[in-house]
Amino acid sequence: MIPPSTHKYADVIHRLEAGGSMLPDTPENLEQIIGIYKAYAVPMDFYWRDLLYIAERVFLNPLPAFKYFISKQYMDLANSYSGDNSKLRIWRGGEKAHPELVAFMKRGETISMPKILHHLWHDRINMEFAEACMQAMFWHQDMGGRFNDYLESKAYLANADRAIKAYFKGNPLMLLLYKLFPEMFIEQVRQLSYYSNLGLFWEVMAPVFFEMSDLYDEGGINSVPEAMDFLVNGIFAVAGRPIYHHVYMGNECIEIIPKSEGFTWLYEAALPYVEAVFYRTSPFRGTKSYNAQANQVPADQADFHYGILYADVYPVGSAGIPPTLLMQDMLHFLPAYLEATYQNHGRGDEDKLIQLGITFQRSMYNVTSAVIQALRCALLYPLTDPDLEHLLANRRFFEAQMDRFLRPEARLSDIQQQNYR
Amino acid sequence: MASILNTAAEAGCFKTLLAAVAAAGLSEALDGPGPFTVFAPVDDAFAALPAGTVQTLVDNPPQLARILKYHVLAGAYPQAQLVSQSDWPSLEGAPIPIRRSEPFEVKNATVINADIVCDNGVVHVIDRVILPG
Repeated sequence: MIPPSTHKYADVIHRLEAGGSMLPDTPENLEQIIGIYKAYAVPMDFYWRDLLYIAERVFLNPLPAFKYFISKQYMDLANSYSGDNSKLRIWRGGEKAHPELVAFMKRGETISMPKILHHLWHDRINMEFAEACMQAMFWHQDMGGRFNDYLESKAYLANADRAIKAYFKGNPLMLLLYKLFPEMFIEQVRQLSYYSNLGLFWEVMAPVFFEMSDLYDEGGINSVPEAMDFLVNGIFAVAGRPIYHHVYMGNECIEIIPKSEGFTWLYEAALPYVEAVFYRTSPFRGTKSYNAQANQVPADQADFHYGILYADVYPVGSAGIPPTLLMQDMLHFLPAYLEATYQNHGRGDEDKLIQLGITFQRSMYNVTSAVIQALRCALLYPLTDPDLEHLLANRRFFEAQMDRFLRPEARLSDIQQQNYR
Repeated sequence: MASILNTAAEAGCFKTLLAAVAAAGLSEALDGPGPFTVFAPVDDAFAALPAGTVQTLVDNPPQLARILKYHVLAGAYPQAQLVSQSDWPSLEGAPIPIRRSEPFEVKNATVINADIVCDNGVVHVIDRVILPG
């Protein structure tokens, strides 16, 4: 046996070493995280479809007013990891968009009316949240993987050039602008490549979360560590999924990032996503404001700590702020048992967005635990390894991960308490 | 002496590795003159990966090739030479760390049979699939 850890979060580290999660294993935590995974999966089923629609079809439309008006083809797009025809079936459900999503898109919070009215009334899925996540990945960049380096390569520039010229074929004005400001167009294509990256990432996560919810309803997931292990296995199962960017102009397909580059879901999408979105993102303007001149915002992007793992859910809870947009989206798809929990605590309906935001924070600590355990499994040693040096290497890894939560903004201590709501 | 692939085929415990090499389209390259150093995971190492991991990779040859190339070095290096340096550049691009010399450990895998000399390189048999990162 190795001696106990003396880290501030020694209890959490010992729990991780015993195969647990950063989130304590209580029935309420399990109920909360599974409920919110389900509520998250429904809008996510729209996010990934629309991200791919924008990356592959809207592309460089100079006035993309209808980019959230996803085509039927993309609503019906078969998920690669769910349904009977998928090669690796994770979600047993159908292949098209989730029925609850389809129903919400018809009615919204109001009544059934033309799509344009739902859009203008903002009674719809908040795609702006998905775009904020994409922009966080695009902006932070140096988060491992080779995706970002490839966006600067000669091969990428040649492919992007081909796609731009094909897209604006017969449009002399845009071709002239491209000639005058080539880097502006290339940078837009780079951003669109991140749309594709995030779309392909979430295409996997949506069915994983749906499956977890279904399993829980059937009694198939009974503890927080079981929920975490399901995620760990999911991460491995799809780790090798290709990350690419294809653009379609009619029937013609231009491969801006071909699958043959060998980019993978784990290295080029999942790990950068977790770093950019769970840890870093950017300081949202909620009821709290930041003064960069007073060093309230770190000079080094790697020190950014505005992700869900650090968020004080209340101050960022203002209209139009990306985390609130997600909370609003999840609000529409809460399972009944989670609705009841929120009614019984806090101010019921009045602070439901805050309560579900904190539930979401708990659930993302569990997802991050799954990522940490998957990395330990992939790069280090089994938790039951008989070699003490191996166990010490695992210990150093877990302690280094917990070091990221030593800053006062981290919510790791809070989620250890059930009355943090 | 036989080539790396023939040696692996004769050993009988690298069925998954050989199938993966073929699926990734790397057989011809690995049968070439090289020389290479190959860290060869046994069948049990692939079987220990969670369900679906190998299938997704086999369905996607470029991604599979990337993981396999992480098990190969350009040049033929015996154990004695490998332990003299902490990191070796893999054909995948990411470095392979040598973590211990006794027992001989490559990244988080233990070498269970070192220095199998072949026509076009050296094979070290490992007990886990190693992954970049």
